[in-house]
Amino acid sequence: MNIAVCVKQVPDTETRIQIGDDKKSIKEDDIKFILNPYDEFGVEEALKITEKNGGEVTIISLGPDRVVSSIRSALAMGAHKAIHIKADHNPADPAAIADALSGVLKEGSYDLIFTGKQAIDDDHAQMASLLAERLDIPAINVVVKLDVNGNKVRAEREIEGAHEIIECSTPCIISTQRGLNEPRYAALKGIMAAKKIMIEARESSISNNQIEIVEYNYPPDKSKGKIIGDSADSVPELIRLLNEEAKVI
Amino acid sequence: MSDVKSSFSKALFSGIILDDLIFPYPKMKKEEAENFALISETFTKFAHDNIDPVKIDTDAEISKEVIDGLKELGFFGLNIPEQYDGFGLGATAYTKMLAVISEFDSSLPLMLGAHQSIGLKALILFGSEDQKKKYLPKLVTGEMIAAFCLTEPEAGSDAAGIKTKAVRDEKNKYYILNGSKLWITNGGLADFFTVFAKEVIEKDGEQSEKITAFLVTTDMGGISRGKEENKMGIKGSSTTEIYFQDVKVPFENIIGERGKGFKVAMEVLNTGRAGLAGGSLGALKNLMKFTMQHVTQRKQFKKTLNQFEAIKKKIAQLTIDLYAAESMVYLTTGLMDRGNLDYSLESAMCKIRATEVTWNGVNECLQMAGGLGFMKEYPYERCLRDSRINMIFEGTNEILRLFVALSGIQERGEYLKNIGKALKDPIKGFGLLTDYATVWIKERITTDRIRSVHASLMAAKTDFENWCKNLHITSERVLMAHGKDIMYREMITMRLADAAIDLYAMIATISRVNSRIEETNEEICAREIKICNTFCQQAWRRVRRNLLTIDKNNDAELTEIADYISDIKEYPYHTN
Repeated sequence: MNIAVCVKQVPDTETRIQIGDDKKSIKEDDIKFILNPYDEFGVEEALKITEKNGGEVTIISLGPDRVVSSIRSALAMGAHKAIHIKADHNPADPAAIADALSGVLKEGSYDLIFTGKQAIDDDHAQMASLLAERLDIPAINVVVKLDVNGNKVRAEREIEGAHEIIECSTPCIISTQRGLNEPRYAALKGIMAAKKIMIEARESSISNNQIEIVEYNYPPDKSKGKIIGDSADSVPELIRLLNEEAKVI
Repeated sequence: MSDVKSSFSKALFSGIILDDLIFPYPKMKKEEAENFALISETFTKFAHDNIDPVKIDTDAEISKEVIDGLKELGFFGLNIPEQYDGFGLGATAYTKMLAVISEFDSSLPLMLGAHQSIGLKALILFGSEDQKKKYLPKLVTGEMIAAFCLTEPEAGSDAAGIKTKAVRDEKNKYYILNGSKLWITNGGLADFFTVFAKEVIEKDGEQSEKITAFLVTTDMGGISRGKEENKMGIKGSSTTEIYFQDVKVPFENIIGERGKGFKVAMEVLNTGRAGLAGGSLGALKNLMKFTMQHVTQRKQFKKTLNQFEAIKKKIAQLTIDLYAAESMVYLTTGLMDRGNLDYSLESAMCKIRATEVTWNGVNECLQMAGGLGFMKEYPYERCLRDSRINMIFEGTNEILRLFVALSGIQERGEYLKNIGKALKDPIKGFGLLTDYATVWIKERITTDRIRSVHASLMAAKTDFENWCKNLHITSERVLMAHGKDIMYREMITMRLADAAIDLYAMIATISRVNSRIEETNEEICAREIKICNTFCQQAWRRVRRNLLTIDKNNDAELTEIADYISDIKEYPYHTN
């Protein structure tokens, strides 16, 4: 089975994000970048499928040179090949990224394409659908269980308060959700092997970027808590405030 | 391995600054840095999911699942060369890795360090190709776990006094090994032992007992283990006695040469100390995170603790001392990675300074946590217990200080009065290596100034140079005054050692910040410049005090009091 996993490099969740002076970017100097955690589920699932059925896993990522380290992380888990689509920066518009990715995906004739359900930095959660449209194949989003049998795919996906089971044929796109699997740790052997894999570099021209980031702002400081009282008498006032001021009940 | 190597610190005692060993501050090669990033990411993920330091401490063992997990991921082969399936990390990346591991738990780096830093290190450094091919692939996977067996009940600091015997059986081509080894880390887990034993060697018709190093495995039979020691800290690491009874060790299992085992042991320990130093700092870094959470949240008198000057001073001092110690450690591992240098003094200095900075730092963190610090629910008391051993094992800090000072002045002794030779034996007695020759005097254009540094560090540089000169002058004076009796004047040599450690810390810090400025700019490095300059000012004042008290001190009184109390064996005074 020929599988592609589209991955994105994102800032570590523990990083303190600092907004750039232009207010339209974030400062990258002290950021620790990691492989998007949702994409890791995709890498793991792809590896499990090829371990069972044979085949190859190709990692595809778009971005500046720094993304190579995250590609290496995915290779160290056991992926076989990688393509780095070079770009000075990640465009704000997911559609522009989807254009570039689908261009590369079309050349590969992949049976399955994985991507995380969303990237934890900009949280657009659009990639699977955008790719599906461009490649004219089905997409199943937010998948928590997956069975692949020949060219039959059976996926369980999370919907509000329930799980939906969908079947389709390959090729298709799967966006992965926590719970699908436990991504493996990259063993030192895998890291060594990954060093020997040549990452194919592709130039890209990002066009058709229709979204512009106007401004980043820090979330407002938490306002101080208010103590209404410490006896049962204060409860009505508390309820009134929660209703009228905080508007949470 | 050549015996002719230059040593920055030994030269320092002679007033010579080999600054090309120090500048620029070393850094990992790109590929090594990438590898390190990936494996530390792997470890961090694994640790978050699987490692619970409280459980390890309470159970007094590392669970089989954790050990198996680490084996599977490859953490038993970090420093084993790639051609034997290892990860081939250099000293810098390996030490950084131990520091990362120590941030999660203190027993784990002990287990991994006893295996790699010392247990199998002799095999890497001195083993034959056949020996390496036979054992390293099994040690890489953790199928075999290694331990280093030097210490005996009667031979601790006096390592040359070991009694374990190896008797040669020429007919069967094996040695018969008998004896026991004490406090062996990984004792309960290991099946591969680097053992030091004495054998009778005949040379020119004369017989003498010499130490030889052997590779011993449990399948040779005759090896048994004592019970697990009940320790104050690092409880998860295994520590037992190991008994050898008529163990048949084939001739081909000698490591290095017959009778040269002592050198093997000392080379291994020289490299091991840097790892230990780096690891101890990792534990402190982690505890600082807890402490900073506490002092920025806990309020008294309507202020958070970090708003009080008494706490500010502690936070700043911790940071400064940690920065300087870290600068020493990774300068030293950089020297180790360059190869063909004598780093024995530097690694000893790192071990002394880093373990003491950690001990004091952990103590200060506990103090800042106040009553919480004393409670078992919080990590402070565990860290305190765990970090205490660092100042004792792999050479007590006292023995290492004597080693640093005597090795330093021995060079001058050789040059001045030919008393250097007389000093060699007693230093050897401390279990340390001294037989590196001194080439630098002949080969180099020597200088007592260092190259130019950034303007913001000039004052620190000048202080360093001045106090180097003073160390040199004082060392010579002390040697002239005491001759070879200097080896008994420990109160004096300890001060020389402390001065040398501070000087090394100064230059390491200056070099680190200087290289940082060169790579970035002064503005970005502003705070690091401040840390460096503050440290250097504190350090040279300590150097001054140490050197001044070599002449003006109360050593005679202290000696007299100590002798009297030793006579009566208790504290005899009371008030009425």
